[in-house]
Amino acid sequence: MAAATKARGPQTKEDRLFQWAAGTVLSVFGIFMLVPFAWMMLSAFKTEAEIKRLPPTIWPETFTWDNFGRLFTEMDFGTYLTNTLLITLFAFVGLLLNAMAGFGFAKYRFKGREKMFLLVLATMMIPGQVTMIPVYLILNSVGLTNTMLGIVLPGFSSAFGIFLFRQFMSTLPDEVMEATRLDGASEYRMFAQIILPMSKPILAVQAILTFIGGWNSFLWPLIIANDQKLYTLSVGLQLLKGQHGTNFALQMAGAAFMVVPIMIVFMFFQKQIIENYNISGIK
Amino acid sequence: MKGSSKIAPYVFIGPTLLLLSIFSLLPIAVALYISLTDMDLAGLADYANISFVGFKNYMDVLGDPVFLVALRNTLVYVVVGVPLIIMFSLGVALLINYGRSKLFKTFRIIYYLPSVTNIVAVAVVWSYLYNPGIGLFNYVLTTLGFDRVPWLTDPTIAKFSLILMALWRGIGLNMIIFIAALQGIDRSYYEAAAIDGASAWQRLTRITLPLMRFAIFFVSITTMIGWLQFFEEPLVMTEGGPLNGTVSAALFIYENGFQYSNFGYAAAGSFILFFIIIAVTLLQLRLQRKQNEE
Amino acid sequence: MNKKLAITTLAAVMLLAGCSSGNGGGQAGENGGSGNTGGSGDSKVTLNVWAMGDSSKPMEEMGAAYTKENPNVTVKVQAIPWGSAHDKLLTAVASKKGPDVLQMGTTWMPEFAAAGALHDLTEDLSGYPELAADNFFEGTVTSTQFDGKTYAVPWLAETRVLFYRTDLLQSVGYDKAPATWDELLDASRKLTERGKDMYGIGLDPKEPTLNFMFARQNGSELIKDGQAQFDQPAFSETVTYLNEYFTNGYAPVDLGLDTSQTFGGDGMVPMFISGPWMIKTIADQIPEIEGKWATAVLPAKENNMSSLGGSNLTVFNFSQQKEEAVKFIAFLSRPENQLAWMNQTGELPATMKAWEDPQLADDPNVSVIGEQLKNAEPMPLVGAWDNISQNFLKTFEQIYRAGADIDSQLKDFNAQAQKLLDR
Repeated sequence: MAAATKARGPQTKEDRLFQWAAGTVLSVFGIFMLVPFAWMMLSAFKTEAEIKRLPPTIWPETFTWDNFGRLFTEMDFGTYLTNTLLITLFAFVGLLLNAMAGFGFAKYRFKGREKMFLLVLATMMIPGQVTMIPVYLILNSVGLTNTMLGIVLPGFSSAFGIFLFRQFMSTLPDEVMEATRLDGASEYRMFAQIILPMSKPILAVQAILTFIGGWNSFLWPLIIANDQKLYTLSVGLQLLKGQHGTNFALQMAGAAFMVVPIMIVFMFFQKQIIENYNISGIK
Repeated sequence: MKGSSKIAPYVFIGPTLLLLSIFSLLPIAVALYISLTDMDLAGLADYANISFVGFKNYMDVLGDPVFLVALRNTLVYVVVGVPLIIMFSLGVALLINYGRSKLFKTFRIIYYLPSVTNIVAVAVVWSYLYNPGIGLFNYVLTTLGFDRVPWLTDPTIAKFSLILMALWRGIGLNMIIFIAALQGIDRSYYEAAAIDGASAWQRLTRITLPLMRFAIFFVSITTMIGWLQFFEEPLVMTEGGPLNGTVSAALFIYENGFQYSNFGYAAAGSFILFFIIIAVTLLQLRLQRKQNEE
Repeated sequence: MNKKLAITTLAAVMLLAGCSSGNGGGQAGENGGSGNTGGSGDSKVTLNVWAMGDSSKPMEEMGAAYTKENPNVTVKVQAIPWGSAHDKLLTAVASKKGPDVLQMGTTWMPEFAAAGALHDLTEDLSGYPELAADNFFEGTVTSTQFDGKTYAVPWLAETRVLFYRTDLLQSVGYDKAPATWDELLDASRKLTERGKDMYGIGLDPKEPTLNFMFARQNGSELIKDGQAQFDQPAFSETVTYLNEYFTNGYAPVDLGLDTSQTFGGDGMVPMFISGPWMIKTIADQIPEIEGKWATAVLPAKENNMSSLGGSNLTVFNFSQQKEEAVKFIAFLSRPENQLAWMNQTGELPATMKAWEDPQLADDPNVSVIGEQLKNAEPMPLVGAWDNISQNFLKTFEQIYRAGADIDSQLKDFNAQAQKLLDR
C-alpha cells in the first residue's frame, strides 16, 4: 500500500523551487521558534551567578551539571517519577474512552446526539478553577482523596479529545463500516479492528497530547494528595522554589529535564502520524 | 446484530459522558449555585456562613470598570491572535507536509517544542527576551541601530508581546493536528488532479483545504475557546499590567475572586465568561454550517 | 468481547484504588491512631505536618529528632509549594481533612483564623510557659492574635532593612547609613548624580508593603477602628515622598534587572530595601563586593518601624490530635531547634533567646536584622488586607507611571478600601 502512495514522478523545476522556498521559510521561522528554547537549555548548564551576569552570555562559561544533580538529590525523584508515569499510563485509558465517545458521536444517529455533544463542548468553556472545589468535594464524599484513582479519574474524559476524534472519524468512509457489518462483525469488533487502525494518525496526535498532559500534571495531584508519596515530578520541581528569590538555573534545568521525555515520545509517535494511510483502501 | 447496533452508540459514549457529568457538569451546576451566594473562605469552612445574594455578584462584576477593560483586552487577544494562529499553524503544516527531504522531519519537532515546555520556564525565558535593558530583543534592536521597545512596559505594546509569546507556544499543537489531517488525504485525489493538469494553487484550494475542513473547524473552535480564556501569559508575565493593559477576563476573575477567596464573585465572573464563550461558539457553529452548505 | 472489557476495566479500577500509596485502606490511617484524649502518649501517634516550599527535608529531620524524645510519635511531613499553598489550604478547609500542624504565613493568618480553620490555642498555651508571648519579638506575636484569642505560635521571622554599598555611600559623604528620610533622599540624589544610568536606591513599586511601611514611619495608622486612613496627610505625604524618587529618577522604574546585577560592580543601584534572605544571595552571587556593603536599620521619620513577615505554627482546627500537635510546636520553638533550623534553611527564628547565640549576635549584618525586629510590625491583620494592598499597587502605578493626581487617587483608593473593610 505504502509504495503506491508516494507519487514520485520526475521532480519538476517548479517543484524543486517550491521545496527550497518552503525549506527556507521554515528555517527562518524555525530559528525564531528555537531561540527561546535553546536559551533555556543552555541556561540549565550555567551557574546561577552566570545567568544573572551582565552582559549575558550565550554559551555557558562554566559548564556545570550541578543543577541537574540537584534535581535528583533534592527531590524524592524515584517516587515522583513512578507516580508521574502511573498517571500518564492511566491517562491512556482515558484516551480509549474518548476515542469511543468521538466515534459514537461521529458515526451514529441517535436521539439527543446534537444536544449531548453541545454539552460535551460546554465543559471546555468554563474556567477550570471554578470547578476545582466542587470536584474536590465530590471526590472527598466518596473517599477518593489521597488516592491515585482520585487523581486520574477526573482526567479520564476530555472534551477536547472527544471533539478531535469526532471530527476525524466523521471523515471515515461509511462504506467500510457497512461492509464490515455485512460480514457479521459486532459494532465493538468493528471499532477495535477497523476504526481504530484507520484512525492511527489522530490517535497518535491525541496520544502525544495525553502523554504531555499526564507528564506535566501538577495542580490536581497536589490538591488531591495528602501525602508526598503521591506527588508528581512537576510538584517536586515547584517544591524546590524557596519563598524569596528564584533560582533560575534550577528552574531551567527542571524544565529542560521535563521536556526530554516528551521529545522522545513525540519523535516516536510522529512516525505514526505521517505514515500515509490510504484510508479508502478496502482490504 | 441489529440489536447491538442500536445500543452501540450509547455504549460508546456512555463512559465518558458519565465521567463528564460527574466531574464537569455537576461541578458547573454547583458553581452556578455558588455564584448566587456570598461564599468565601468562612463559608467553605462552615456552610452555615453562606447566604444567598441573588444576582449581586453578577452586578458587581459587570459594574467594575476594570472588567470592561479586561473584556476589551480579551477582544484584542481573540481578534488578533486566533486568525494568526490558524494561519501560521496551517501554513507551517502545509509547508512541512510539502517537503520531501528528511530535514522537514526536524522542522516538525522544532515547531512543536515550544508547545510542550512548562509555562514557568517559558515565562522566565520570555521575560528575559523582553527585558527592557538587557533583553535579547532590545539588544538586537539597539545593535542594529533601532530604539529599544518597551515590550512589556507599554500598555498597548504589552498586549502584542503577549500575543507573540502565545503564538510561539500555540503553533505546535495546531500544527500537528493539521499535519495529521493532511496525511489523511488520499493521494489519489492529487494524482487525479495532476492528470487533469491542475496547478499547485488549485490543488491547494480545491482539494487540500476542502478536505481539511473538519480539522480547520476543530482548530478554529478550540482556539477561539482557548483564547477567550487567555490567562496564563498575562498572569506570569505582567500580572495584568501595566495599568491594566494586559488583564484578560479570565485573569480579572482570578485576581478579584479566587485570589481573595471570594468564591461567589469568582463563580459569577466565570459564568459571565462562560456565557460569552457559548455565545461566540454558537455563532461560529452557525457560520461554519452556512459555509458548509454553500 | 463485552465481558472481557468489563472485567479488565473492573480489575484496573481495583488496582487504582489499591494504589493509594502510603494510605492502606481509606482515611483511617491519615490522622493516625486512636482518638487521643489523655495525650499521655502511650498509643502510637502519627502527626501530619504541612511545611512550605523547600522545607521538607529540614522538617523531616526535626521530626526524627522529636521521635527520639517521644518514641511513640511519628512525624509525617508534607511539603507544599509556596505558589500553590493557598489552593491546597482551601481544599483542606473545604473537606476538613488536613494536617495536624500547619505552617502558616503571617499574611494569611487573618483569613484562615476568621474562617475557623485554626484551633484556638489560648488555653493550650497555659501549659507551655516557653511559648508565652514575651519570649518572642512583639511584632511576631501580633500576627498570632485574632479577636482577642491566640491562634498560632510565632516561628520564623523576617523584616526589611536597608542594604547599602559602604564604599559608594562614603564617596558621597555618608560614612554611616542614612538615618532619616531626609538623609535617604539626599544620599539618593547624590548617588544618582554620579552619572547616566546611575541610581540612588532600588524601591520596588510592585512590593505591596513599601508605601504602608513608610507611612507608618510617618505616623499613619493605616486603619484605625475599622476606618481606612489613606486619605489622611500622614499617608499622602508618604506617597508624595516615595513618588519623588521615581519622578526624579533616584529610583529606577522597569529596569528589569535583578538586585545581584545592580548592586555589585559599579553599583548601578547601590541601596535597596529587602529582607534577610538577600544576605546569603549577595554572598553567593556577588562575592566580589564582600566588605564593601552592609545592612542598617531603616531610616526614620517619626519612627523607623519596618514591616514584619515570616510564618507561624498553627494547629488545624479539624485535627484529631491537637494536644500532640501543640507539643510538637513547643519542640520546634526551642531556641536550639530554631538555630538548627536556621542553619539548614537560613530562615531566622522568632524566639528572642535564639538571637543571643553568637551565630546571630556576632554577624554584623544579621544582628542588624535582630535590631530591626525589635521595631517591626506586620501589615494590618484584616482579612481584606491582601485585596487592599493589591488595589493600592494599581493606584500607585497610576501615580508613578501615569502621573495621576495623588490626592484624588488616594481619595478613590480610600473609599475602595473602606468598602472592603465594611464587608
